[in-house]
Amino acid sequence: MNRATKLRPSTSEMNYFPDEVIEHIFDFVASHRDRNSISLVNKSWHKIERYSRRQVFIGNCYAISPERLIRRFPCLRSLTLKGKPHFADFNLVPHEWGGFLHPWIDALAKGGVKLEELRLKRMVVSDESLELLSRSFVGFKSLVLVSCDGFTTDGLASIAANCRNLRELDLQENEIDDHRGQWLNCFPDTCTTLVSLNFACLKGEINLSALERLVARSPNLKSLKVNRAVPLDALTRLMSCCASQLVDLGVGCYENNEPEPESFAKLLFAIAKCTSLRSLSGFSEVGPLCLTAFIPISANLTSLNLSYAAEIQGNHLIKFVHFCKRLQRLWILDSIGDKGLEVVASSCKELQELRVFPSDLHDEEDNNNTAVTEVGLVAISAGCPKLHSILYFCKQMTNAALITVAKNCPNFIRFRLCILEPNKPDHITSQSLDEGFGAIVQACKGLRRLSVSGLLTDKVFLYIGMYAEQLEMLSIAFAGDTDKGMLDVLNGCKKLRKLEIRDSPFGNAALLADVGKYETMRSLWMSSCEVTLGGCKRLARNAPWLNVEIINENESGRMERNEEDEREKVDRLYLYRTVVGTRKDAPPCVTIL
Amino acid sequence: MEKGGLELEITELRLGLPGTEKMMKKRGFTEMIMTSSGSNSNQCESGVVSSGCDVEKANESPVAKSQVVGWPPVCSYRRKNSCKEVSTTRVGLGYVKVSMDGVPYLRKMDLGSSQGYDDLAFALDKLFGFHGIGVALKDGDNCEYVTIYEDKDGDWMLAGDVPWGMFIESCKRLRIMKRSDAAGFGLQPRGVDE
Repeated sequence: MNRATKLRPSTSEMNYFPDEVIEHIFDFVASHRDRNSISLVNKSWHKIERYSRRQVFIGNCYAISPERLIRRFPCLRSLTLKGKPHFADFNLVPHEWGGFLHPWIDALAKGGVKLEELRLKRMVVSDESLELLSRSFVGFKSLVLVSCDGFTTDGLASIAANCRNLRELDLQENEIDDHRGQWLNCFPDTCTTLVSLNFACLKGEINLSALERLVARSPNLKSLKVNRAVPLDALTRLMSCCASQLVDLGVGCYENNEPEPESFAKLLFAIAKCTSLRSLSGFSEVGPLCLTAFIPISANLTSLNLSYAAEIQGNHLIKFVHFCKRLQRLWILDSIGDKGLEVVASSCKELQELRVFPSDLHDEEDNNNTAVTEVGLVAISAGCPKLHSILYFCKQMTNAALITVAKNCPNFIRFRLCILEPNKPDHITSQSLDEGFGAIVQACKGLRRLSVSGLLTDKVFLYIGMYAEQLEMLSIAFAGDTDKGMLDVLNGCKKLRKLEIRDSPFGNAALLADVGKYETMRSLWMSSCEVTLGGCKRLARNAPWLNVEIINENESGRMERNEEDEREKVDRLYLYRTVVGTRKDAPPCVTIL
Repeated sequence: MEKGGLELEITELRLGLPGTEKMMKKRGFTEMIMTSSGSNSNQCESGVVSSGCDVEKANESPVAKSQVVGWPPVCSYRRKNSCKEVSTTRVGLGYVKVSMDGVPYLRKMDLGSSQGYDDLAFALDKLFGFHGIGVALKDGDNCEYVTIYEDKDGDWMLAGDVPWGMFIESCKRLRIMKRSDAAGFGLQPRGVDE
């Protein structure tokens, strides 16, 4: 890398600056998209940008290979990788589909990359790759795993033991095989650098004294989220240890219905010392009394996640939330009810993001009075002027409500509405919800993510194509009538990156109309739609830069079924642009055309 | 003789009306623990439980609406960790609360991590740092404590009698209580009529 001062005979004035100066200027350009843009200006900028790039985001791990990544960005320090498609969250993707971490770690280690941060989502992580990671990167600081699987607490033990400078170990909603070993013990006594520790998703017992000792020797610890194996007395001790610096706390499951008065008093005392606490989560299987214990500091909270607190009744939730005047982010269960959302609307004027999850997933209560409806949504939209992001599971909706919401909140960036019963119409007029969603896309000019539900015809897609100019991600289920719906979206939404569709009557005509469109997108998912094998084959032929994957129910490959009727409908289609061609690690149930 | 007596009891249970099934099951249990443990009682317990189950099924509310795969779109981690899932104590998700008389705080333990009653005994000892709980599961008679569990129906049963697999499927919580208190609880210590 030539860092000598150079004058470049170029029309751009900036090129009279030495490289280091340009590089310094680029340091202020943080967003990936902006960095990508500046790298395209000219060769010189491309080169400077390459070598100065520290953070890389890869939205689809199969779009590029680790070797090519390292060739382009040899000095990278921080890598984000995403693996399985989004619908894998809903069991629509076979477990062995792919998204393996190991080749990446292998290549990064061999390439001498000084990796410091790794952030993974929906990847298959093995204990071996965690071990290799822990041994290969001396300065490794931060590991964040979201919705990953394939590893055990043995892998965590390697990270704990070998990453001398570990600052962050953040495990969110992963499926981890808990060997109930002593992984917490594996942090050496010399490890004092922890800033963030989140093991809430671990299911097994942990060594409480090891945890307490670890927290005691971590003066920088700001975020601690424990799992449900941490009883009240231990939690109290932990909190007392780092109370003044704690910003983010995840409470495990400790006993709850009637804690002993003395233990409870100690907890209250510890909570009172947590003056920096801004974010609270956990509370799975915890009784209401223990949530009440946090009321004294509730006015400081900006983030509250009670979406796993299934044992806390609506009225207790309401009482607590009422005190959270500075709340910006709220994740809650629908047991809060419309009345509870009205309280949120009147109390939480700073609210920016709301997620309301369904509490009754098994349809056990036919007369579920506590679920939320359009009433709650309208109340929130009216009361919270800063709201820009919503995920809302509800049992019913109306066009009138959606139109009102659109008028109240034109600033939505993310709007995800899930009406629990597929194809459900406006419950008052019995019409489709086309007009309601149409109002949303028309009013919310900055909308980037949208999920639609309920009874919807092609019309809603006409509106989306017409108005959703900034839309990047669209999720469709049980909607539409003909190919025109999908076509309107593909033709209209210029910034579309991810489109995922299930159980909708879109077929080959829509799929094949504009093959070039998929080069501008990250991926397309279609399951239980009308596309056929023949259509997919044609697409694959016309777009060699796409991986067109067909996922089958049964394990036996489709190879032998080549003579299969091309009119056969494809169960699951996942296609994505890639610069490295067909991947070699696909399991038998996946056919890449 | 004893066996013959038990068979009658099984018959009695089957003849019971659905509404009174629960009460009868409890009585059946009480009768049951008066016998010596072993394959006989296991058989009887199975008999009791299965007849109980049959009646129970008849009383269950109508089958839930057919579920579409992956709908509603709640991620699988969240599904597995929502309350309803947890309370239907499935094997592998066998996380139960364990309370011990005289100890102020509850513990939680993962039943799925134990392979059998011996393992459970060991785990309980470790949990409370107290030897002798495990003994209660095994020999019963000489121990100061008894280990009882609350089953799916909300009844309190003596731990150790049913086959392990059946136990972890139905156990919702564990309680270690003093043998002296157990008598007043509606259970009788094992071997009392031997």
